[in-house]
Amino acid sequence: MIYWTVDPRKGYGTKVIQRASLKKDSHGEPGARFCGLEKMGNDVKGSKKMVMVGWAMGCSLLFLTVVFRAGMTRDGMDKALSRVAGRQVRPIELRVWDWWSPAGNEEYGAYFEEVKAIFEERNPDIDVVYQFVPFGHYVQKLSTAMVGQRPPDVFQSSVYWAEGFYHRGMLRPLNDLLESQPGEGPTSLGESSFMESAWRHNHTGDGVVYGIPQIIDANCLLWNLDILEEEARKDEMIRDLFVRREDGQIDFDRIRFDGIRDWDHFREIVKRLTRFDERGQVKRAGFIIQAYGGGGGLFSPWLASNGGRYQDSEGREALFHLTEGVQAMTFLVELYWEDKVSFPFRRQLSGTELFVERKAACIAGGTWSGKDIARDTQGWTHMGKTAYPPGPMGKAPSTETWGNMLVISSSCLRVDAAWRYIQFVCGKEGNLLRSKHLGYNGPRLDFYETPAWEKSKEDRPYLSNVKEICLSGIKLRHTEIIASDHQANPIFETILLQYPDIREKKQPYESVRNALEQAAGQVNLVYSRYNLQKDRWLAARGETRS
Amino acid sequence: MAGGQRRNKVLRKNGRSFLYAAWTPYLYIAPALALTVLFSLVSMAISLYVSFHHYDAFAGKSELIGLDNYRRALFSQDSYFPLALKNTTLYVFLSVAGVLTLSLPLALLCNQIRKGQSLFRTLYFLPSITPGVVVALVFFHLFGVWGQLLDHRSTALVALVILGLWSGAGYNMVLFLAGLNEIPGHYYDAAKVDGANEVQQFRHITFPLLRNTLVFVTVMTVIGAYQVFTSVYIMSQGGPERSTEVVAYTIFINAFAVAGQMGYASALAWLLFLAVLVFVIVQMKVFRSRKLYD
Repeated sequence: MIYWTVDPRKGYGTKVIQRASLKKDSHGEPGARFCGLEKMGNDVKGSKKMVMVGWAMGCSLLFLTVVFRAGMTRDGMDKALSRVAGRQVRPIELRVWDWWSPAGNEEYGAYFEEVKAIFEERNPDIDVVYQFVPFGHYVQKLSTAMVGQRPPDVFQSSVYWAEGFYHRGMLRPLNDLLESQPGEGPTSLGESSFMESAWRHNHTGDGVVYGIPQIIDANCLLWNLDILEEEARKDEMIRDLFVRREDGQIDFDRIRFDGIRDWDHFREIVKRLTRFDERGQVKRAGFIIQAYGGGGGLFSPWLASNGGRYQDSEGREALFHLTEGVQAMTFLVELYWEDKVSFPFRRQLSGTELFVERKAACIAGGTWSGKDIARDTQGWTHMGKTAYPPGPMGKAPSTETWGNMLVISSSCLRVDAAWRYIQFVCGKEGNLLRSKHLGYNGPRLDFYETPAWEKSKEDRPYLSNVKEICLSGIKLRHTEIIASDHQANPIFETILLQYPDIREKKQPYESVRNALEQAAGQVNLVYSRYNLQKDRWLAARGETRS
Repeated sequence: MAGGQRRNKVLRKNGRSFLYAAWTPYLYIAPALALTVLFSLVSMAISLYVSFHHYDAFAGKSELIGLDNYRRALFSQDSYFPLALKNTTLYVFLSVAGVLTLSLPLALLCNQIRKGQSLFRTLYFLPSITPGVVVALVFFHLFGVWGQLLDHRSTALVALVILGLWSGAGYNMVLFLAGLNEIPGHYYDAAKVDGANEVQQFRHITFPLLRNTLVFVTVMTVIGAYQVFTSVYIMSQGGPERSTEVVAYTIFINAFAVAGQMGYASALAWLLFLAVLVFVIVQMKVFRSRKLYD
């Protein structure tokens, strides 16, 4: 507290910070006195006590709050409070991990809230406890939880890790649970209930199922229909990309799934959509090609559409360096360097930003992109999606698809509860809840027969082709994706950045084929190490490779 | 000496006091020592053990493979350790040069200010306490505007050095300022009387007497720069074309993104430790303090 005192030796007022109980000045000499505050002395003492009591109460409250809400004690406290209040205590606690987090997006909060409310109402013995773990930390946290004997019971697994998790012995095989509930229906989780493209990443070659698809995602081409509509008014070729209604009128909200016939047709369209300024610089890109970081992600859907594959099904050999891959990569670099349909390579270049700013007519996106763009633009939805058109060696539009899944950890002791949760979330009802809150299309076939899906397509026409895109795709690369990308992506990056030199057979590679072969060689080393590791895991469990 | 003997006699007479006196210092340092042993020394020992094994962190199982991980790091076809070490060492040299050409002049300028020195000290120190991820994200976009430094293999590493210098300049400046404040003013007075100009004062008084601070700052910069990770992870992921692939990033990828490579990642970490150790020992030898003036 600040008081004014008069120091008799100085003879003038000095502003000092002084305890209320002080009767002497800072030199310990009598004479210093409170100016006009003596009467307040007792009041000050009283208020000081009040302040201390306040602090003590505040600290106690904070301590109790922490004790009540802290992870270690929360459950016990909640149960104790429930007993006191006469509420039913749920004996089974089901811990569910996910990287979808309400912290990043309130829509996820609403989704999890409704899932929990409905599921717990139908299963009064189960208390669902969600724990949200960032995608980038998932593997480390999960491994630590497994080693620490405290894994989640159920968790969402990306296809990036699912195969590895299973081979490590982290996932419980689900075949017995599937066999115990055969048949069809909205809660059936058998293979026949799902799109074929969703049921690819969740089982081994010999039929061990370790996950149930929760979503289906696919890479796709995203078209800005504002730009296309504008160009269609003067260009027959662009006009022909749109769906025609029964009365023959053009539906400018919907693009045809098979509107782009092949790569040459695509090249011609994006060239027509590209605009240059007076200095010859691109001011609107027909298609965005990004060199930095995402090499495999950009290249592999084009590879798929040319009939190629990134790897073999067993994860033993890279296949992207074969003719299909060379053609796909050459097509991309020529689009950039010769046709100049894209803005110059820049690390900070964001295709999505350019897309919504109407500076890019087409970008590489995903079936999930529409909802994100609609949210970020506060409702702009005038876009369309197609698969990648077939290349010279491809037969039909194609792409890559994957289905992230719900899995049960191998040390889960509440298998029945976990399975009931998966049945609900991966059943038809769960699919509809994700569509309602998150805008996801579902991996289940019966999802696409619901009025809710038809309504979604009416409200958001960009979803029109989503089912076809998901059905057309091949399996995403799936073996040690991060490690293989770490080996191959810098080489893809070099091809894109230095194609003119490579074309002239200067450096750093003799040709695109040569560069891809080197990348494949590096990826094969990753695969061979992984397979050795897999053998060790299997041997530790007394199993051998099938 | 005599006082010490007397004290010991007293202590011997009273065993309890002796014990108390003998153990008290250890008790004071026990918490810090326990934490250091547990989280540094034990972890390092485990890491060394793991580096000689094929170790699966999830399974917690290991298989002794001797020096294979080290051999692979140094000679294997798909090892990026030599390249990463080369990039990191270049980063270290550029960082040390940057610190000396930026932080020391800043400290000298700041030292001459009579009013508002603490304000400048605070302003320059602020980047040091700003989270690295935030700084990296801001600079990621700034470099997009400033000549696209991150887009070219010849400039990407320089961009990371600039970020490191911006973050660390204030901290090192404060260290230099502390060193400058320790130099007695009468040395300068005497030099002025002898007719020394400012450059000569710096050459013959400031620089020699800052030697210990200089060694400390350089050693800490070298150690910090060898561990550069956040800016690489956020801004370049080792690109373009592996021009910013640094050792800490390679360790991270192998430890946490590749199945069953914890042993290999540990071997990389120990090789990095050896590189830093050699570097620091050479530095200490070269800059070993000598008493110049009494």
